[in-house]
Amino acid sequence: MPQPPAPVPAMLFLYRRTAANRLRQQVARAKSPRYLAAVVMGMLYIWWALFRNAQLGSGPLAKLVETDIAVPIASAFLLLSAARWWLFGGERSALAFSQAEVQFLFPAPVSRRQLVHAKLMRMQLAILLNTLIFSVLLRGGGGSVEGWQRGLSLWMLFSTLALHRLGASIVHANAMEHVGTARRRLIVPLLVFGAVLAAVIFGVVTAWPLLRVASLSGVKAVLLAITDALRATVPAAALWPVRAVLEPVFLGGGTKWLAAMPWAVMILSLHYLWVVRLDKAFEEAALEATQHRAERQRRLRASQMGNSRSRKGKLATVPSLALTGRPEMAIAWKNVVAALRGGAWRTQLLTFTIGLAALAAVTRSASDRAGDVFMGVTFAWGAMLLFIGPLWMRFDLRLDLPRLAMLKTMPLPGWRIVAAEIAAVTALHSITVWSLMVVPLVMFLQEPALLAESGATIPIIVSVAVGVPIFNALMFTIQNGTALLFPAWVRLGTEARGFETMGQNLLTTGATTLVAAVALVFPVGLGALILWITNDWGGWSVLVATIMASAVVMAELWPLLLWLGGVFEKIDVSEVAAST
Amino acid sequence: MIDVIEYTKLYGDTVAVRSLSFRVAPGDVLGLVGPNGAGKTTTLRALAGILQPTSGSIRIADIDLHTDPVAAKSRLAFIPDEPQLFDYLTVTEHLQFVARLYGVQDAAPRIPVLLEELELTAKKDALPTELSRGMKQKLAIACGLLHRPSALLLDEPLTGLDPVGIRRMKETIAARAREGAAVILSSHLLHLVEELCTRLLVIRQGQAVALGTIAEIVEARPELAGRSLEEMFIALTGDDAVS
Repeated sequence: MPQPPAPVPAMLFLYRRTAANRLRQQVARAKSPRYLAAVVMGMLYIWWALFRNAQLGSGPLAKLVETDIAVPIASAFLLLSAARWWLFGGERSALAFSQAEVQFLFPAPVSRRQLVHAKLMRMQLAILLNTLIFSVLLRGGGGSVEGWQRGLSLWMLFSTLALHRLGASIVHANAMEHVGTARRRLIVPLLVFGAVLAAVIFGVVTAWPLLRVASLSGVKAVLLAITDALRATVPAAALWPVRAVLEPVFLGGGTKWLAAMPWAVMILSLHYLWVVRLDKAFEEAALEATQHRAERQRRLRASQMGNSRSRKGKLATVPSLALTGRPEMAIAWKNVVAALRGGAWRTQLLTFTIGLAALAAVTRSASDRAGDVFMGVTFAWGAMLLFIGPLWMRFDLRLDLPRLAMLKTMPLPGWRIVAAEIAAVTALHSITVWSLMVVPLVMFLQEPALLAESGATIPIIVSVAVGVPIFNALMFTIQNGTALLFPAWVRLGTEARGFETMGQNLLTTGATTLVAAVALVFPVGLGALILWITNDWGGWSVLVATIMASAVVMAELWPLLLWLGGVFEKIDVSEVAAST
Repeated sequence: MIDVIEYTKLYGDTVAVRSLSFRVAPGDVLGLVGPNGAGKTTTLRALAGILQPTSGSIRIADIDLHTDPVAAKSRLAFIPDEPQLFDYLTVTEHLQFVARLYGVQDAAPRIPVLLEELELTAKKDALPTELSRGMKQKLAIACGLLHRPSALLLDEPLTGLDPVGIRRMKETIAARAREGAAVILSSHLLHLVEELCTRLLVIRQGQAVALGTIAEIVEARPELAGRSLEEMFIALTGDDAVS
């Protein structure tokens, strides 16, 4: 007697065995001393990042939940994120299955509803991991909330967000593929979302005069003014569903938490029922998203993002390559072409620069204070770009690792290949950061008198301009070095996105920053020593200190590049192939 | 000239290739055949400088691949079974890239000739994503031929090609051998091997089980006389084969 099909146990088996085999593979990898050392360092780092405030009895982000502004600001942020999913289709990757899942699950006797549940099950792994990370980060904050209460609240929050993203993606993808009924189905949520957004914008616009006054007193005052605006009747009512799932995370005290939970459970349940009822649209949308993801992954491996041709079929013009000369220039050129064609870097840079220049002119015209605030924001953005840019911009070895076999046949020593891979992306990212200089430039052009009264500004700007490429070279070397040393851990795509992976991304960025900080101990120390000796903290000694610090960074990078070249020559292609 | 002396490659305790020795003279086309997992690709990758041998030595045009890898690599070309191309470079730009990388002095006149030879002229401004599997294979081969390699390593070079493409490709490979390149060709297409190759190297479980011309192999193994190449292959690599 044949057994009836049992898709749910089969899927559970698939995910359980996948997780177990992946773990086993990672453990086996740790037999290599290199990976073992990294695992130990990683564990120490995670312990440091998550538990360093253990003596104080609270997590590093615990104070965040105790502030008055957290819930309204987070509600508005989540609403904007959700609006993006509805307006622009969200992330199709939320719908996608792996190619193997499509091959085995879709032709199998599995109902559409079971497919939806398979997707929900798979999403839980990332949700649970993030719940754990954020539970630790937020522990102790918010008064008497127990650990399990915060964990449950976070799990409900992340699950609701994931369900909402999934639902929005299904409806949007379906509407894009079909006309008529499917497209009409998008109108209702868009109208609802439009009304909610309008209510929030109405609240902010109503409070505009107060916001202007607050802008004179700094960022904190602005945030408080926005919070007050969002607490007004209309925007508060519009934001209620978002706040309902957020509040249990932030509320202190057992009774308050118990009172808030039923609403959060209701919102989560409604989301679940909604997504499950979308099962008919899900199958088709998931197939389409899987195909789209496969195509995107293929492009990511080759050119990071986007289409190489414009809609009219034209290729972006690129600098021509001389057929003779230093061979490593060919590698650097190839990466520049990737950025121009694959990443539309030039268009983004131009848009970014023009936008900055316009904002600089507008803010300086509005008031000196507004101009100063914008200048401060630009500096902060620049500093952030220096750290985040090397994670985003991957026109280097990380892009080429899947073609490692081909790279290894190139008639060049390993260190020259590694250096060429890093050089192009360093130059491109330096230009991106330099483009921020348009802000002070526009302001000086508006008011030439500022130039004479600028004091420390000019030496600092020149020093930053000199230091940026060196700092970028260091950051990109760290990123590429990590890819070379631990190719099995390198992620080439950006599939793992959304709220589910926020915690992991937070940890990865922190780890990179930590390595950079160690590398900068000597250069920064030398720079500080020069400034201390000259006692000229705002003059041209800053430039001298920057040049000397840059020289030390270069002295650190040189042996590092030679060593990474050796690693490149010895690396086994099978190690990389397993990860791609 | 390609010289392989006692080449061994281990992955942990697993033997991928054991004590392989052979020589390919200029003008020779050596057919590398064996069942799946026999070590063909591992051998080709070692010859291309992609894999480090566990022991033994490899010389390309009398240059030791281990001691002077850059010089040795500049004399060889490896065309893998799966073309590895940059999706954002056009067909012509791929060749320009290779020209600069290998320092090809006469690249400007050679590029259009190669494009014509491999029937890529009409696609010279196309990106690899806009090419068929066969076209990509042709582009990979064009890139490999641009710097006139002394050693040409081809892993399943006819995959994805149509009958006309196969014919042109066979002519191209034979022409390079006539010009003095030492060619190693790995393929499961035994009729291609029989037609193109001057000698055969049959490997099984990482070990050579036969090396030489078909006549020399039959001379060493008289029981193979009168058999087709396919029957010889099965006899040499099957479970009952005696190494």
